[in-house]
Amino acid sequence: MNNLWILNMGFVALLVGVGLYCLLTMKNTVKLLIGVEIIAKGVTLALVAGGYARENLMIAQSLAITVIVVDVAVIATALALIININRHTKSLDVRKLTKLKG
Amino acid sequence: MHLFLLIGLLAFSVLAVLLRDLLKSAISLAVASIFLALLFFLMNAVYAGVFEISVVAGLITVLFITAITLTRGDGDVAESRKHRIIFPLFFLVLAVVDLLVMKKLLGQIPAIQGSESGTFSQVLWNQRTFDLVGQVGAISAGVLAVLALFRRDDMHGTASKGGSHE
Amino acid sequence: MLFLFIIVPLVLAGLLPLLGKVSKRLLPDLLASAAMLFLLVLAVFSARPLIADGGIIQQAFWFGAPLNIRLLLDGFSLFMLFTISLVSFAVTLYSINYMEHYGAKANYYALLLVMIAGMNGLVLSSDLFTIYVFLEVAAIASYALVAFGRGHDELEASFKYLMLSAVASAFVLLSIAVIFGVSGGVSFGVVAQGLKTLNIKTVVGFCSGLFLAGFGLKAALVPFHSWLPDAHPSAPAPISAMLSGVLIKVSGVYAMTRIFLGVFGLTPALTTVLTIMGIVSIFVGALAALGQNDIKRMLAYSSISQIGYVVLGFGIGTPLGILGGLFHLFNHALFKSLLFLNAGAVEQSTGTRSLDKMGGLAKVMPLTAATSAVGSLSIAGVPPLNGFWSKLLIIIALVQARMHVLAVLAVLGSVITLWYYLVLQHQAFFGKLNEAWQGVKEAPFWMSAATVLLALLCIVTGLAFSFVIRSWLQPAADVLGQGVGVALNFIGF
Repeated sequence: MNNLWILNMGFVALLVGVGLYCLLTMKNTVKLLIGVEIIAKGVTLALVAGGYARENLMIAQSLAITVIVVDVAVIATALALIININRHTKSLDVRKLTKLKG
Repeated sequence: MHLFLLIGLLAFSVLAVLLRDLLKSAISLAVASIFLALLFFLMNAVYAGVFEISVVAGLITVLFITAITLTRGDGDVAESRKHRIIFPLFFLVLAVVDLLVMKKLLGQIPAIQGSESGTFSQVLWNQRTFDLVGQVGAISAGVLAVLALFRRDDMHGTASKGGSHE
Repeated sequence: MLFLFIIVPLVLAGLLPLLGKVSKRLLPDLLASAAMLFLLVLAVFSARPLIADGGIIQQAFWFGAPLNIRLLLDGFSLFMLFTISLVSFAVTLYSINYMEHYGAKANYYALLLVMIAGMNGLVLSSDLFTIYVFLEVAAIASYALVAFGRGHDELEASFKYLMLSAVASAFVLLSIAVIFGVSGGVSFGVVAQGLKTLNIKTVVGFCSGLFLAGFGLKAALVPFHSWLPDAHPSAPAPISAMLSGVLIKVSGVYAMTRIFLGVFGLTPALTTVLTIMGIVSIFVGALAALGQNDIKRMLAYSSISQIGYVVLGFGIGTPLGILGGLFHLFNHALFKSLLFLNAGAVEQSTGTRSLDKMGGLAKVMPLTAATSAVGSLSIAGVPPLNGFWSKLLIIIALVQARMHVLAVLAVLGSVITLWYYLVLQHQAFFGKLNEAWQGVKEAPFWMSAATVLLALLCIVTGLAFSFVIRSWLQPAADVLGQGVGVALNFIGF
């Protein structure tokens, strides 16, 4: 059981890493959102894998489903923002979003 | 089998990041979701699997494709060419670190067993009711956000008057 | 009864878009303000007696039928509930006038109420995962509220905020997933118990790091602060007040403190990291604020600096330090929302946020100038206003804990704060009246009412600080002082 958990968590780390890479280097706003999605996938896997390893599968699934629902709301909001930004800049390039200094 | 599915999940996620075409990207994300759902089925997490397929592979992909279509023609963003070199390097380093650290980090933890009983719906309803309230909150926040951002009376620009950022 | 704190705003938020079709302004204004007043009264009068003998777990009811929801109320969460309700009440009053020109008022109030429901839920929850869920509820509503004006700046700021905030949430959730895999549960009690018996330092350290990054991003601690100076100024003024006044504290500082002090237990390493992050935030925020010309950006940088004081207080970990941190949290909620509301009033009257273009506004906006002066002097720590006492407590705690260098630095930070707030007051309100603003009028009634309310509270809290400390802060500080013991007490529930 424990070995399978470690294997799963290893892949979780890889998924989160790939997602973070996407967030840090990509220039397309939709691509950035895909990065967020990949991180979310990794985290969902971590939850279910944790539940499987400790025989807490029912709770783990409840948590995973909640994460998925929350994620939908975030993605919907983000896409609505992207479409609105697109109306202003006519582009999906984050490099066009430099009016504010940060 | 388990390892095969994990590798599939990872491979399609990587594809989703690296593919130039946004539509193809969104579709490989959906395929990655299906791999994740199959993993869930393999781990007996049927409900999570069903949700992953219907909501993530289905609904979220539809949302992505809608947004991509609505912004089509503006989607060509010049990404750096260096990804072909940097990404494999980054991934290799990540994988090596992962391999070295993860076993050490988690290997020492004794396998304690959970003490849960009951069916899925009982657990969800009896123990995680508060999360359901949270779900309602998140959904209403999402719906209201979309309503606010696409409201018809076009009054944008009113708050950024004065150009105080220059 | 405690369930009302979540369900009243949530249900009202669901109804408002429908009611908005009937009455575009009056009904949303009335209902939102009434709901916030109701919650404020509930927090002050009904919730307080409940915790006379320490923290409680209360079951939620829905029309008389019991639900399987257990809400945790102790001194700390009550204190936060009170702060949230107070600021949101002032903000809803202010919005009556201010939000007129944005349109879609019903939708605005609905989002604001969902955000408040999210914060209340976070504060009342007794398990790690529920904290995450309500963190996201409040965050999603806040993305939409930052972008509410739909201008280019707003959208850009909101998008950047969303991206960083999504990463923060992912870190928090990842940490929760690891803890769930390790301890087999997510409620405070089970986790505290599990971590205590397992004794696994490296994993706890790893999770602490993830939490620190996640909540640090939410609280905008340096080096995770880059989104705040964009997001907070771009939002409509009442939302800036809400975000700087309460949201960063609830979803950043409260959640972090609750988990670190109440579930993990404060370790020496964590103390060091928190104090360093605190002191660095104080200086980075203050020095950046000094060079700002945009009044709201100056206030936003100042938020980073003041959050630094709060975290510094908690980081010391001594009872006095915690007390000082809590007091400063409350004070900052009062004066920072006051200052943001005043900045909004000035922006609405003059159409600019640039300090260069203002000048002499005290002659045409006397009330705004006066309340703003109270806010500025409080935040700069001028006695006998409230900010002075909380900073004094933190500095005394630092001296007691033998961190003399940090104490000197904290005083220095306070001096810089005084400096840039004097600059703000001078450039905006004093001096010769700029020709262009001859015809400017004082802010409308409800906007002034909200700012006067907050300014009076600043003065009263400063004068009656010992009463405030005894009745509101001490119970909260006691809870945090007990550390992990509190979580273990609730394990049976």
